Amino acid sequence: MSDKKGRNLEIYFMAAVIVILFSSAVMNYVEMSEHPNAVATDAPTPPAGSYVIHVVATQWEWTFIYPNNTTSAGAFSVPVNREITLIVTSMPSEQGPGVIHDLYIPQMDVQVYAVPGQNNSVTFEPTHTGSYYFECVEYCGEYHYEMRGYMEVVAQ
Amino acid sequence: MSAYVTTLTIDGAIVAIVSIIIFALYLVLNSRKDLISKMANAEGYDSEGQFVRDYVAGKPRELGLSIFVNDDAKSLGMRYIVTSLFFFFIAGAFGLTMRLSLTSPNPSLLTPDEYNVLLTEHATLMIYMWAVGSALGFGYYLLPSHLKVFRDIRGVFSSIGYWLWLLGGALILVSHSSVRWYFYPPLSLQLNQNGGGLYAWLSVLGIEILFVGLIITSITILFIILFDRSPEVKRNQFTLFTWSIIFTIIMILVSSPPIMVGFALLFYDYFNPIFFTAASHSVLLFTILFWFWGHPIVYIAIIPYFGLIYEIIPKFTGKQIFSYKSGVIGLGLLLILSELVWGHHLFNSGLGFAWVLFFSTTSFLVVIPSAITIFNYIASLWSAERIRITTPMLFVINGIIDFIIGGVVGVMQSAFPVNADVHGTYVITGHFHFIFLGITTGISFAAFYMLFPTLSGGRKYDVKLARLHFYFTAAGSMLMSSAWLLGGFLGMPRATAGYFPFFQPYQLASIAGGFIIGIGQIFFLWNMGKSWLKAPSVDNQNCLEQVNVISTEMTGGAQ
Repeated sequence: MSDKKGRNLEIYFMAAVIVILFSSAVMNYVEMSEHPNAVATDAPTPPAGSYVIHVVATQWEWTFIYPNNTTSAGAFSVPVNREITLIVTSMPSEQGPGVIHDLYIPQMDVQVYAVPGQNNSVTFEPTHTGSYYFECVEYCGEYHYEMRGYMEVVAQ
Repeated sequence: MSAYVTTLTIDGAIVAIVSIIIFALYLVLNSRKDLISKMANAEGYDSEGQFVRDYVAGKPRELGLSIFVNDDAKSLGMRYIVTSLFFFFIAGAFGLTMRLSLTSPNPSLLTPDEYNVLLTEHATLMIYMWAVGSALGFGYYLLPSHLKVFRDIRGVFSSIGYWLWLLGGALILVSHSSVRWYFYPPLSLQLNQNGGGLYAWLSVLGIEILFVGLIITSITILFIILFDRSPEVKRNQFTLFTWSIIFTIIMILVSSPPIMVGFALLFYDYFNPIFFTAASHSVLLFTILFWFWGHPIVYIAIIPYFGLIYEIIPKFTGKQIFSYKSGVIGLGLLLILSELVWGHHLFNSGLGFAWVLFFSTTSFLVVIPSAITIFNYIASLWSAERIRITTPMLFVINGIIDFIIGGVVGVMQSAFPVNADVHGTYVITGHFHFIFLGITTGISFAAFYMLFPTLSGGRKYDVKLARLHFYFTAAGSMLMSSAWLLGGFLGMPRATAGYFPFFQPYQLASIAGGFIIGIGQIFFLWNMGKSWLKAPSVDNQNCLEQVNVISTEMTGGAQ
C-alpha cells in the first residue's frame, strides 16, 4: 500500500464512518422526538385519555396504583391498545430510605429511573395481549434481584 | 448478637494479620534503608536518595523487593505494575466466585449480600487498581526511556502517591461495602446490610485517598514529560505512547475534581445528611458528578493501551506505524470528545430532551477518533510485508478484534431508543468486558511479556505456556462476553444475584467462558513461576523501551 493510496483509503473510510454516524444521529433525533422516555416532572400532567398508573418503588418491591386507586404489588395489568402512562418515583420503606431504582420492561422498550424526590413519566402502548416481564435494573441493595415480576396486558 | 461477635472476631483477626504484615515489611525496609545509607556513605554520597538514583538510573532493573524502597522511575513503574497485577488476580477471583454463584437462578453459593460485596469489589478494584494502576505503571516504567530523561528526581512524590493509592485500594477491599462502583446515594448512605454495608463510609474514605494518590502520581509523570526529558527529544518526536499518557493524565486531572468534591460531600452526609437526599432534590446531582468522572475513567483505562499497541506493532512488523499524525489526532480527539459524553449513562433518569439529545449526539461523535485509531492499526498491519506472530502480537490482534466488537455494540447504545432497551442489562457488561479484556488486560499482558527479560534479569518465558495463556484468555473472553451480549438483548439484568430461570443458558455459557479465562491465568502464573526458577539465559534488554527500533532481529522480549 503506497502512502498516497493509504491516505485516500483513510479519507474514504472516515467519510463512510461519518455518513453512517450522521444518519444514525438523525434517526435517533426523529425517534426521540416521537417517543420521549423518562421525562422528569414535579407535578405530572399526563396526556388526556391516557391510562395513568402511579408506580412507587421501595426496597424491594414495586407498588402500582391504578386510576381507581386500587393498588397491586409485584405485578400489574394494563389494557391492550390503549396509551399507558407510568409515573414513577421512589419512597422509603421499613427496609430503608428511598433509593434509586430503574423500572425496565424489555418487550415494551420502556425504561425509567425511580428517583426519590422526583416523578419520571413514560408513555407506551401495548398492542398484543399477554404476559411481559419487568425488572429493576438499577442496583438498589441486598434483594435488588427480587424486584421483578410480570405485566399482564389484558383485553379491554 | 452472635453474628455480630463473629464479624467482630473476623475483622479483628484481619486487622491483626495486616498489622503483622505491615510490621514485618517495616522491619525489612528499615534494615534495607540502613544498608543503603551505609553503601551511600562508603561511596562518598551525602544523600542516600541521590546515591540510589545514580546507582540505578538508566540501568535495566530486575523485579525484586528493592523496588518498594527505591524511588527511581523504573522501581516505581514496576511497583505499580506488580501491585496492579496482584489486584487483578484478587478481583478476578471475586469475579469467578460471582459466576459460580450464578449457576442457579436463585442465589446458591453466595447470599445476595455477599454477591453484592463481591460485585462492588470486583468493579472498583479492577478499574482503579488494575486498569489505572497498570497504565500508570507502564507510563512510569517506559517514559523515562522513551524521553531519554536527563534527571530522575521526582520519585519521592510518586512514592507518596503510590502508597496513598495502595492504602485507598486496601481500605476499599476491607470495607466490605456493597455500594457498587457508582456509590449512588441514598444507597451508599444506608449503613446496613440492606444498603451500602456497615462500613460503606470506609470505602468512600478509601476512594478519596486513592484519588489523592492518583493525582499526585499523574502530576509527577506530567512533570517528567514536560521538564525532565532530554532537550534533544522534541515534541514531534514523542512516541505515540508518550502522547497517550499525556492525554490520559490531562483527562485524570480534568475529570476527577468534581467527583472528589462529590465524595467529600457524600462523606459529610454520613454525619448530617443534607446534600444528596430526597428532601434536597439532589439525588441525581451525585450521579452527574460521578459520571463526569465515570465516563472518562473508561477512556483512561484504554487510551494508554492504545498507545502501547502503537509501540508494539512496529516491533513485529518491522515497519513504522501507518500514520504518526493521525495517531496523535485520534488519541487527542478521543480525549476531547470523551469529556462530553458522560450523560449517556443517565438517559433514562429524566434528564430531559435537550440534554439527552446533546449527549447522544456527542456519543456518536466519539466514534470518529476510535475509527481513526483502529484504521491506523489495521493499515499498519495491512501494509507490513511480514508480521511475526508472537504472543504479544497475538494479544494485540485479539485486542483490535475485541475492540471492534465492543465498540460497535457501544455506539449502538448512543441511540436513545436502543439505550432504553439495553441500559442496565448484560449488554453493557458484555460491551465493556470485550474492551477491558481485549484492550486493557490483553495489552497489559502483551507489554508484560515484552518486558519480561528485563524484569526477570535476562530470563525467557515459556512460549508454549504463554500461547496457552493467550488462547484461553481470548477464547474465554469471547464466549463470556458474547453470551452476555445475547442474553442482554433479551433483557437479562446485570448486577443481580439471581435471575429469571429462562436466562440460565446465557448465564451458564458466560460462566463457562469465565472459567476458561480463569484457567488461562493459571497458565500465566505457572509460566512466571517456572521461568523465574530457570537461570538467566538471554540479554536483559527489551525492545519496548527502545524508541524507533523496528528491526525484527531483537533478541529480548519478542518471542
